[in-house]
Amino acid sequence: MIDLLNSLPGALAQGLVWGVMAIGVFLTYKILGIADLTVDGSICTGAAVCTMMIIGGSPAWLAMICAFLAGTAAGILTGLLHILLGIPDILSGILTQMALWSINLKILGKANQALPARSFSVVLSQLDNVRSIIVLAVLSALIIGLLYLFFGTELGSAIRATGNNPVMSRAQGINTGVMSIIGLALSNGIVALSGALLCQYQGYTDINMGRGAVVIGLAAVVIGTAVTKRIGSNFALKLTGVAFGAVIYYTVYQVIIFAGFDTDFLKMFSAIVVACFLGIPYVSKKIKHMKGRKKDA
Amino acid sequence: MKKRIISLLLAALLIAGALSLASCGKKSGYVVGICQFAPHEALDAATKGFKDALVEALGDEVTFDEQNAAGEPAVAVTQINSFVSKKYDLILANATPVLQAAYNATNTIPILGTSVTEYGSALQIENFNGTCGNNVSGTSDLAPLDQQAAMIKEWFPEAKKAGLLYCSAEANSDYQVKAVSGYLRDLGIEPVLYSFSDSNDIAAVTTKACSEVDVLYIPTDNTAANCVETIGNIVKTAKTPVIAGEAGICKGCGIATLSIDYYALGRKTGEMAAKILKGEADITKMPIEYVSATKLYSVERCAELGLTAPEGYSPLN
Repeated sequence: MIDLLNSLPGALAQGLVWGVMAIGVFLTYKILGIADLTVDGSICTGAAVCTMMIIGGSPAWLAMICAFLAGTAAGILTGLLHILLGIPDILSGILTQMALWSINLKILGKANQALPARSFSVVLSQLDNVRSIIVLAVLSALIIGLLYLFFGTELGSAIRATGNNPVMSRAQGINTGVMSIIGLALSNGIVALSGALLCQYQGYTDINMGRGAVVIGLAAVVIGTAVTKRIGSNFALKLTGVAFGAVIYYTVYQVIIFAGFDTDFLKMFSAIVVACFLGIPYVSKKIKHMKGRKKDA
Repeated sequence: MKKRIISLLLAALLIAGALSLASCGKKSGYVVGICQFAPHEALDAATKGFKDALVEALGDEVTFDEQNAAGEPAVAVTQINSFVSKKYDLILANATPVLQAAYNATNTIPILGTSVTEYGSALQIENFNGTCGNNVSGTSDLAPLDQQAAMIKEWFPEAKKAGLLYCSAEANSDYQVKAVSGYLRDLGIEPVLYSFSDSNDIAAVTTKACSEVDVLYIPTDNTAANCVETIGNIVKTAKTPVIAGEAGICKGCGIATLSIDYYALGRKTGEMAAKILKGEADITKMPIEYVSATKLYSVERCAELGLTAPEGYSPLN
């Protein structure tokens, strides 16, 4: 049991890294209403850019800013495919994701590049979980704060309106296409930033590191939304809930690995967690509804 | 709703706690955490060899916590985190991404790698001299690449073009293919690289390669190993001979291989682990170890193509 407690800082740090990623997913999935699959590629793009820049001698903060910008470029590409060429949103994301696989390979120069904290100066590492947690908590708070302010501006409100009701938004003179592209860019920029954090934390970038990222992101969004639903509907609270959702996800994951579960089932477990958190609110509403009908009769 | 979720989570935590407490009771002697990157024949053999050798050396004194990351780097990070927090006596990192995750997670627990080709590039150690000099050592699955290039020349002295087929997502393959290319050029054979990105485009790339070259070479590539049937069918129709970097791939599609035995590699790693656990050796001074390679040929496929094995080759079963 003490061992399990010892492992929690690691799970917390890993959860917070993915929490940043989940905030990015939240922007497209909940605000724009798009299931954006670009993220499987853009998380690796962020990691690749960050790793190569740090190895090249850039300071970590500059590398992270560039990773963010690379992510926004990926988001813009998906947006253009969707808005200009009329390709369905899911497919646009998949296409960008595929293209990114090749681009990431070219950025890295090979399939796997080490970035050990022992040889390079990075802002966080699994070797020092306490420091990583502090860095991640501050950074997450900063991102949530900035997004809160941004979505309060006219531009931010227009993006939210686009997601809520595109027809009405267009009637109000909002260019919904541009708003979608801005939303996708912002989302993928944040996802790429989380990739930049992840490569520093785990000490390497692998061409396959984004595989399944969208599932972890969605899991965090769904868990986070379910947990904060009853507390309130404040936007900053929702974002905090999403970041916290990733922490819950990784804590449960860590517990399952600790319990000596057959690790062949891990992917199935991920799918079950997402299905449960998506399905339970719906089913419980149905049950309530049925109970209500019985009373009437 | 919220309460229900929290209570579910608490219940999960409690059950897991009880389970881990139960397993704590049994803990005595040495505990070794094994993290294998993916389910795969060669990696499985290495893990098995490691366990066998360690059990022979230490008997009941050693227990294993065996995890498989299902090919996902993020999962390996979580599994390594659990090993480190449980303060295991030693970690076996089976394949490069796991070694990298472990290297960045602990600088105290001894880490042994296996099925890793090149430690210097995997851990970004400059001027690597064969010993990591910290809490990392292990075994390399590198079969001598100059000898593999020489094999192509030995079997096909007339060959002008050799195709090198590999997965661009695998750092190990990339390294081997580049090295073999250099050696082939020295032997007067023109190397042509054919990379595929995953199992979906392997058939198209292999077909193209077969139409353009005299002989194909495949390094110790995990994706190729998993799709060896696909490659086998294509080269059989095209009658293109394949020289493979390991026995598993040779079995499925090749005529000959200079192969290292992953079980023997695992065993050697296990012997290193026993020395470290008993305190007989200091991991910071242990160089990376290798196992010797053997020349094998496929009787069936050589007969199909009308080839006779040169001297020094044993039949591959």
